[in-house]
Amino acid sequence: MIADKDIGIRAVQEFLGDDALPDRISSGSNNEHYVLLEEPEFEMAVSHLAANKFVLISLFCCEGFFKNAAHTLFYVFERRTSILVLVRGVNGRATSIASIYPSASWFERECRDGFGVEFEGAFDTRRLFLHETYPDGFHPLKKAFRNAPIVTKETVDPVDEYPFREVSGEGVYQVPVGPVHAGIIEPGHFRFSVIGETIFNLEVRMFYKHRGIEKLAEGKSPRDCIRIAEAVSGDESVANATAFCMAVEHISQIQVPERAWYLRTILLELERICSHLGDQAGMLVDVAFPLGANQFSVLREECFRESDRLTSSRFLREMICIGGLSRDVSRTQLDELTSFVHQMRKRYKIGLKIVLSTASVIDRFAPTGVIRHALLRPLNITGPAARASGGKVDVRLNHPYGIYDQFVPKPQRLRDGDVLSRFTIKASEIIDSLDLIERLIATIPEGDVRSDAPIRDGYTLALIESARGQNLCWVWIKDGAIERYKVRTASFGNWLAIEHAVQGNIVPDFPVINKSLNLSYAGTDL
Amino acid sequence: MVNALTCLLKKKVTEEKPATDEEVEVIGREMKTAIDAVFGQSLAIRELDTGSDNAAEIEINNLNNPFYDVERFGITFVASPRHADVLMVTGAVTHNMAIAARKTYDAMPSPKFVVAVGDDACDGGIFSGTYAVLGGADKIFPVDLKIPGNPPTPTQILTGLLALMRMAGKKR
Repeated sequence: MIADKDIGIRAVQEFLGDDALPDRISSGSNNEHYVLLEEPEFEMAVSHLAANKFVLISLFCCEGFFKNAAHTLFYVFERRTSILVLVRGVNGRATSIASIYPSASWFERECRDGFGVEFEGAFDTRRLFLHETYPDGFHPLKKAFRNAPIVTKETVDPVDEYPFREVSGEGVYQVPVGPVHAGIIEPGHFRFSVIGETIFNLEVRMFYKHRGIEKLAEGKSPRDCIRIAEAVSGDESVANATAFCMAVEHISQIQVPERAWYLRTILLELERICSHLGDQAGMLVDVAFPLGANQFSVLREECFRESDRLTSSRFLREMICIGGLSRDVSRTQLDELTSFVHQMRKRYKIGLKIVLSTASVIDRFAPTGVIRHALLRPLNITGPAARASGGKVDVRLNHPYGIYDQFVPKPQRLRDGDVLSRFTIKASEIIDSLDLIERLIATIPEGDVRSDAPIRDGYTLALIESARGQNLCWVWIKDGAIERYKVRTASFGNWLAIEHAVQGNIVPDFPVINKSLNLSYAGTDL
Repeated sequence: MVNALTCLLKKKVTEEKPATDEEVEVIGREMKTAIDAVFGQSLAIRELDTGSDNAAEIEINNLNNPFYDVERFGITFVASPRHADVLMVTGAVTHNMAIAARKTYDAMPSPKFVVAVGDDACDGGIFSGTYAVLGGADKIFPVDLKIPGNPPTPTQILTGLLALMRMAGKKR
């Protein structure tokens, strides 16, 4: 019986042979394994991993990692508790793996825009985050480009407009939506191909909000980068800041005090509750059930206010820092939080009961927007969306960080994969997070909340479970400054799920399906 | 089990209004008076995100939750710029949003007002001077009022709107 964490190593041995190992494989500081591969072995290795149920969770590029290659590509694979990173040095050209791993398509297009790496055999070579107004040959993540304002085109010639996938046939018509939507929502474009009222195909186009997060981080001191991590997605501030700090702490071998981890975990769970409550309220608005929606939005506002009392920020910002927390939380505040949690649980359960016993709600929720289990692996769908479709994925359980090995969240799993399942999973997660917070406060140790240690050079990967699912970041520190900060939020993978979830549904159900997946535009567009 | 009969026979449920926030009520009453005087009883706002981190949207959305419920004060968020008096902009203006943002502004009937909400919309914030953004909202259209914050709270946004009403009143 192979231990779960050794699955990755075992897989490497299968395609490289036992004796090739020592100089080609290295351990990262966060339990990940890097395997250096030559070109001929690479495709074989990817096929082998695909056959062995590994999921491609990220693919990113770096310049200057090896002396003899212009670009280094990192392919991050996950299977259960094992993380394997295939490393491949290339010079401007590489073979595409998108036909083996569909999720690679966006990643490869991202690398192409950022660094100018061409992927041979890729089925989609359209630009991703650099839209039509950006000049040709511009690749912002190249080291040769110093971050400064650039001139873009003011208008786009119709022939240069983005070519959407076209579906043709009798009675098929297109409905273009966005980037500016009707509600108070982030911008993105949805291109529906519709027959009658039924959605036949949906293509999402994102990256309208591309703010250049990754480039912005380059050259900054790790401490100055926390603010950038918090700006990846406002409602995932704690998760992204914690993931970034975890990476720096692993690289620098900084021991975070226990009390700090208790408090971080409380903040992470509070953020999750707040996010889930917002989704649930939104889903109920979209099916015209204001009674339930208002109950949840009242609870959510109270959560924001409690967050403000705890941390002086409604979004729990400026609390997470390298080595722990920027300030302590007093016993009185924690006692207050305990009674808040207690009240919250009681009132939440009342609201939930009303919602789940309302026939008009259930009628709209089930069986709407189904995500099939078979899609989870090829598209790297994570978080509540995956757990509602039978996925056993939760970073807190698969790769426990901080004190999640002592405070184990209840594994949540449903199988139907529809809007109702996602609503129900989120409900269970809210209750579980409330329980977790209560247990954490009851046993929180006294002591420091920050350890100040020097920051060292190095690189590592960090994974965290945000409200939306698995967020990943890879940090490389060189000469005390950030050389590369790669972020991949759960939404990046989950956005592709919606294209499948809406098929066969009617256009009026799109808003509720979208809300049930709660995708962050900012966290995807970076 | 849920069936038609249980739905008919069960006790009708309703929810208590949350405790009122005195500060919000005071600003709200002043707001209503100002809107009545300047905008003929209702103020239509179109929200436009040009590249925020989504925290500012969440706070603007919160203006509609039962704690604030700004519709009471004559404020409505409208679905089209063609119906709007005020364009409420969040986030630094990205290159990818610039064209859509200009189109949105141009679609509004005059007279029109623009309010920038949050540090990034005010002057580009941490993204200022980088390749992906043009800067604050004032880089693409005239901005009448800036509400700074990371993000500003619903109460701060409401206070800012009140200041705009007073400004607009003086201009008349």
